[in-house]
Amino acid sequence: MGMGKDIFEITVNGLKLVVIFLMMVQAVPILVWLERRGSAFIQNRLGPNRVGPLGLMQLLADAVKFLTKENFVPDTAKPLLYYAAPVFALIPGAVAFSAIPMSTPIQVSAFEMFGSTWGPYTFLVQGYDIGVGIVFILGVSSLAAYTLLMAGWGSGNKYSLMGALRASAQTISYELALGLSIVGVIMLYGTFNLTEMTVAQQGPLAFTLFGYTVSASWLPNWGIFYQPLGALLFFTTAFAESNRLPFDLAEGESELVAGFHTEYGGFKFNMFFIGEYGHMMIASGLMALFFFGGYGIPYVSVQEVQQWAASIGYGSGLVALLHFLSFFVKFAVFLWIFIWVRWTLPRFRYDQLMDFGWKTLLPWALANTILTAFVIYIASL
Amino acid sequence: MTADAFLFWFLAIVTLVSGLSVILMSNPIYSALCLAMTMVGISALFVTLNAYFIAGVQLIVYAGAVMVLFVMVIMLFDLKKDLQAFTRGRFTGAVKIASVGLLAGLVVGAIAMSVGLLNEKTTDNPVLVGTGMESTKALGNILFSKYILGFEALGILLLVIAVGAVALARSKGGTHEH
Amino acid sequence: MNTEIFSNIGLTHYLVLAALLFVTGMAGVLLRRNVIVLLMSIELMLNSVNLTFVAFSKFLGILDGHIMVFFVMTIAAAEAAVGLALAVSIFKRFNEVNIRFFEHLKG
Repeated sequence: MGMGKDIFEITVNGLKLVVIFLMMVQAVPILVWLERRGSAFIQNRLGPNRVGPLGLMQLLADAVKFLTKENFVPDTAKPLLYYAAPVFALIPGAVAFSAIPMSTPIQVSAFEMFGSTWGPYTFLVQGYDIGVGIVFILGVSSLAAYTLLMAGWGSGNKYSLMGALRASAQTISYELALGLSIVGVIMLYGTFNLTEMTVAQQGPLAFTLFGYTVSASWLPNWGIFYQPLGALLFFTTAFAESNRLPFDLAEGESELVAGFHTEYGGFKFNMFFIGEYGHMMIASGLMALFFFGGYGIPYVSVQEVQQWAASIGYGSGLVALLHFLSFFVKFAVFLWIFIWVRWTLPRFRYDQLMDFGWKTLLPWALANTILTAFVIYIASL
Repeated sequence: MTADAFLFWFLAIVTLVSGLSVILMSNPIYSALCLAMTMVGISALFVTLNAYFIAGVQLIVYAGAVMVLFVMVIMLFDLKKDLQAFTRGRFTGAVKIASVGLLAGLVVGAIAMSVGLLNEKTTDNPVLVGTGMESTKALGNILFSKYILGFEALGILLLVIAVGAVALARSKGGTHEH
Repeated sequence: MNTEIFSNIGLTHYLVLAALLFVTGMAGVLLRRNVIVLLMSIELMLNSVNLTFVAFSKFLGILDGHIMVFFVMTIAAAEAAVGLALAVSIFKRFNEVNIRFFEHLKG
């Protein structure tokens, strides 16, 4: 930990956190536009296409609308909790998202500035590198349940409260299956660290079994080939964790108006929205990281990219950019799947949701854990 | 003042103030939210002690699961502000406060007296410094070797508790009927 | 004035903080009447004990304290589950979660 050893490094690391937060927040309008256009095409409509080219200016119009709406507090609300909840909605998403490594580190060699030499630096393309990255992300994102409860109870509306109770019950029920589905990955790579996991997935598919080396050069060495069930379970529970369809029981509008954010309008609603998209982004990032090689470019290892960049005269900047693009493509694909599923699958009933979480996902996640443990033990004999 | 010291004092104040609020707030929901704040503060204190894994587990288990359960139960009951939050009786109350004060004085005094006698070996163990991966591995190793019996016993305890909680709670009602 | 105590954080600081939290929790158990707040005060006491375990673990350079924290956490979670189940059944019967209703538990 630690922010750096001199003022330059500390400044850059601090700025990096701000940039990552802004990146997360700025991605939301684009995703909203994508979701509205995408849903329109899925439902054979056109979607917003009047304001600006392709309707892109709709985002700005929406932002102006959100900012200029009337700011009100319901009579029965608890003002402190009512105002605190939307602010807290942003925190878990932003803090957890900063811990995801998005590219290879950038090396800056020593240079002269303000009459003194500033030593060589290595900047990670992530907010902070935490040794036990997965545990940290799981822990921080489990705090999101408080936001729902604070909003639901603070609004002083029974629909809000019921929506919040449903949503938090769902979140903590699915957290079990979520945690267990990652245990297989953790055992496989033998680390909690996200960067080490990415490094372990480089190159073509190869593993040792009973002393024989099995390799398939036409496949990348991704976690999905070792943990298909784990990937499926993780992705399913991630939908439930981010309260997206088909698990958005929290805001079943036919029963609960809009769930925990019934009483919120304007910018406060927008902050809940950003929180929800933040969860989607964490889930997509982790999915890419655990099962699809993280920032690694398929078939090529980081060293090969570094050699190639050096041969055409570029340094770690180009390498980092290429790996960031690789990460971004995977990330965007999963975000699109989130949107796609929302407009494809219908909502569960509440008892179906609980039965699915406790009686289907949890046993399968346990089975996956035990099976992985056995296979790893046998393979190491 | 160094950054570490500043962090410690900041976290100490946060945990103490929110810990005090837990017992002083007359509305149980605010108590529960303050306790969640305390848990997060203690988790951050674990980080200052280089116990990264424990800090994460503290967040997941306490702040993420146990306290959410508390808050949910309180909201489900829809408890109003406690009309009489504190125990009745001036005399018993005074005795209780006095005993708490006495205990506080004894504990703090005992620590202040005895800590000089402990020889602090501040982090000469390589396992306890660094980014946390080494200490997590070492933790796993001793958990599954030296403390395996306690670990198994905890598993049985959890099974018994799960059965017990279901048996206690299923008498009437529940979240949904079958 | 001696500022050593503010700038040099050692074992004592953590232990005193944990002791203060423990005493706070104990005061809650003794003074409050709401069962759920009592349970929360107990959680607070257990947490302060965890803090002492981790602090000793760091300053003595051994990891056994961390294991104890695991055990304490598991037992605290179990205690919370059973305590809340009891509170729910008390609430269903009396519509209040005051500690005095627990005398009906016998027999």
